[in-house]
Parts: sequence; C-alpha cells; structure tokens
Amino acid sequence: MHEVSIVQGLLDIAIENCKKQGYKGIESIKVKIGKASGVMPDALMFAFEAMKPGTMADKAVLTIVEIPVSGYCNSCCSDFTVDDAYVTECPKCGNISLRIDTGRELNIDEMEVF
Amino acid sequence: MKVKVVTNILEANDRLAAENRKIFQDLGVYVINLMSGPGAGKTSILEQTIKATNGRMKLGVIEGDIAGDDDARRIESAGAPVVQINTGGACHLDANMIRVVMDDLPLKDIDLLFIENVGNLVCPAEFNVGEEIKVMLLSIAEGHDKPLKYPLMFQESTALVLNKIDLLPYTNADLEKIKRDSLSLNPKLKIFEVSCKTGQGISDWVDWLLALVKK
Repeated sequence: MHEVSIVQGLLDIAIENCKKQGYKGIESIKVKIGKASGVMPDALMFAFEAMKPGTMADKAVLTIVEIPVSGYCNSCCSDFTVDDAYVTECPKCGNISLRIDTGRELNIDEMEVF
Repeated sequence: MKVKVVTNILEANDRLAAENRKIFQDLGVYVINLMSGPGAGKTSILEQTIKATNGRMKLGVIEGDIAGDDDARRIESAGAPVVQINTGGACHLDANMIRVVMDDLPLKDIDLLFIENVGNLVCPAEFNVGEEIKVMLLSIAEGHDKPLKYPLMFQESTALVLNKIDLLPYTNADLEKIKRDSLSLNPKLKIFEVSCKTGQGISDWVDWLLALVKK
C-alpha cells in the first residue's frame, strides 16, 4: 500500500534534482532497495508506472537493484549474507548477537537526464 | 547523461519526523508511536493507561484510523485530550499527518503523548513520525507465529506489550515461543504481559512509562 508514498518521494527527489540542474526530463532512474526494507519491487514498479504520467519522468524507466541482507556475527566474528528478507541468527554459529549492515536500503542511486 | 543522486527516498518523511521530534522535545513531551494489528487492543490499553496513571502524568493521544472517530471518543471519555486523524485509506501514519494535527493538542500540558498508529503489522514500522520510541502491542489470540512473520515491527520496537493474556488458556498460542522469537529478533526488547480486561500487568506497564517520562 505505501509503495505509492514511496514513489511520490522518489519522484519528488528525482524531479527536484532534474530541475535544479537545468535538464528537461528524466530517461531512467535506478533505485537500490534492501530486501529487508519491506518494499515489494513489483508494487513499487506498478506505483511508478501509475504515477509518472504528466511529470518530468513521463517516459522514465525504473530499474530496481535489490540489496541482500548482510552483517557481522559478534560471536563467531564472521561476515554473512543471506537470501532471506530477515536474519534472526548467525547462519554459521546460530548466535543471535548480530550487527546488520545492509538490507534496509531505500535509496535513489542515479538517474539519466536529457 | 547520468546524474548521481544517492538520496534516501523517505528523506522527506524522515526530515519532517526529525522536526516533529524537536518540537516535542522542546515542549518536554515524550512521544510513543503505538503500533499493532487491528483489534489487538491499542485503544483499550490507552484507556487503561489513562485510568491507572491517575494524574501522575498528563497524557495526550493522537488517534490514527482509516475512517471514523470511535477511538477518539473512547479516549475523550477516558479523560485525555485527543485528536483524530483519518488517513482515508492509507495504511500508516506519516510525519506530515502528525505535523498537521499537533497544534490541536495542548502540548504544553502533556507529559506523554501516544500516537496510536493505524492497525497494521507491516507499514507503520517503516515510517517515523517524530516519536522517541516505538511500542508494539500483540494480543495472545493473534498467535505465536507473528514475530517471525512480521519481524520488522518487533525489531523496531523498544517494548512489546502482550495483551489479552487472560485468553492464554483458551488458545493454542505458545507464550514462551512468542517471547523467545521476539527476543531473538530484538534482544533488548522489554516485554509486558497484560490484560486490559482484568487489569493484570497494567501497573507494571504504567510504572515503566512513568520512569521513561521522568528521565
């Protein structure tokens, strides 16, 4: 549901940057979405297509790069990366004392303008 | 031509949330973002909290619902200043909604402000609204599988209030599993077992709130 408010934020930031730098429009936007961000890529794509008409991003293509959940185990002192959206214990030793480093991203990375 | 942007998409919300937090802090208002699924008892625990506080601190409430003002009426009857937000469909509150209504409350006369979020175990955890801490409520009847199904909510919260604990003998819910899984997601989580119906555990919860606000 809230993918619409996220796309609104995304469009606001992209269009503001585009205007500020004196370009006419946006060709593409690349976003990085962490797997644990709670955002569904399909829903984000759908909301983007629904909301871009009539804006400077009218013809823009959205590319979504998914970032896996990764972190560090304070117990066995090893780095880990998992496929799941969440990690509750170290995949190597099972300890629950973890530091999560990536996976919560919700960032615009770059865009192409004309 | 490529332009590097590298901006958090929720930046606008986070910026507004930070401004809200500053306003609340300057006025000495401690703010709790109260989250749960629909029907877990958010309004009930607020009613009980207002009653049990018995004037030891001044409470205020912002009610968030998709539609209706039933909850605000209940809080008003319980005796605390309240303002209702209707999101008109949105599944969570955001920082701007709080900004728009905050002036409708007598903030100078409030020690502890609860923001009762829209009933939803997913989206509210992702939007800061200007709170000091997040607290989540889970009712026993929702089942012991919820922490691992909706982990973000448990990870983001400072405290977990397990409501309807009086129903435990009538359900298959495994209380120890709820606690174990919640703590594995968030080892620092403070857990309360309460019943808004019988009053069990309410005084421990209120004592904890009093200590928070005194800090």
